[in-house]
Amino acid sequence: MNVTLNALEIFEIAEQIEQNGARFYKRSAEIFGEPVICRIFLKLADWELKHKEIFSGMKKQYAESNPGSGASGPERTLQQAKTMAGLAVFGIKPNPSDELSGKEGKSDILRRAIEKEKDSIVFYSGLRDFAPAASAKEKIDEIIREELRHIIILNKVWQKTT
Amino acid sequence: MPFNADEVFEMAEQIERNGVKFYRDAAEKFPQVGELFNDLAEMEVKHEKTFAEMRKGLSGTQAEPIVFDPDGEAQMYLQVMADNHVFDPKADITAQLAGKDTPEAVLDMAIGLERDSIAFYVGIKEAVSRRAGKDKIDDIIKEEVGHVAILKRKLDSL
Repeated sequence: MNVTLNALEIFEIAEQIEQNGARFYKRSAEIFGEPVICRIFLKLADWELKHKEIFSGMKKQYAESNPGSGASGPERTLQQAKTMAGLAVFGIKPNPSDELSGKEGKSDILRRAIEKEKDSIVFYSGLRDFAPAASAKEKIDEIIREELRHIIILNKVWQKTT
Repeated sequence: MPFNADEVFEMAEQIERNGVKFYRDAAEKFPQVGELFNDLAEMEVKHEKTFAEMRKGLSGTQAEPIVFDPDGEAQMYLQVMADNHVFDPKADITAQLAGKDTPEAVLDMAIGLERDSIAFYVGIKEAVSRRAGKDKIDDIIKEEVGHVAILKRKLDSL
């Protein structure tokens, strides 16, 4: 299946990525069962939900400033079309919390978490092109920086637990 | 010890060199997708040259940390990515490819490698100043995202 997305769909996927991320971390907290690490995972889940709210606001802003940007909206440049197709690979994923049966080892959960953070960093790097305003681009940059921090946090947890 | 600009760009060059070798070896192993892989290898050669030029342009600042990074987060991120060996100069690409028996498996692997390099370049972008070439890194990131689209299209067509 070759998928090309429009800009509004890309913002919707960003919301979904954050929602899935929050679910993944909540489920991981249940599986890990160690109070200190549970608190870290629940904090990560909270942060992802805050990101979701920011993307919801951006999607609204984009729709208001680009009334023709729905499913039939045109892609503006070849580079953007390529970016959209590339982003589809990292954005359209099953709910990651469904992937966790509860039998996974700690290092496997942390590895998956880091992989998902990388996917989101790549997705948001492409998403910057569709930011409705310079201020939105700055917000996306800030979210990317926060996702980079999440990888640092996850790596520290990994070093402590493995 | 924090990376300096010279080291960061050297790592980026190594990622691109690994990419070139990966695509050329893959092209040889799977002739049915050889043209695509050779084209991607050529694009990675251009990226390597871009990073090499950016490195050359760092005259006098090589030993300095690159941007204001009071909490060392950009550095820590680069260290984590470096520890994950995305730029390993000793990476045995031939051995990695040996376990891939179908073009589909290699295309999947290529998408993963492109993803890891993009994630690393995002970290580099955070760590370098505009003067050192932040915008050029942005362009390379966009092109790598484009490579993912090309690889996915090919994967879907098989």
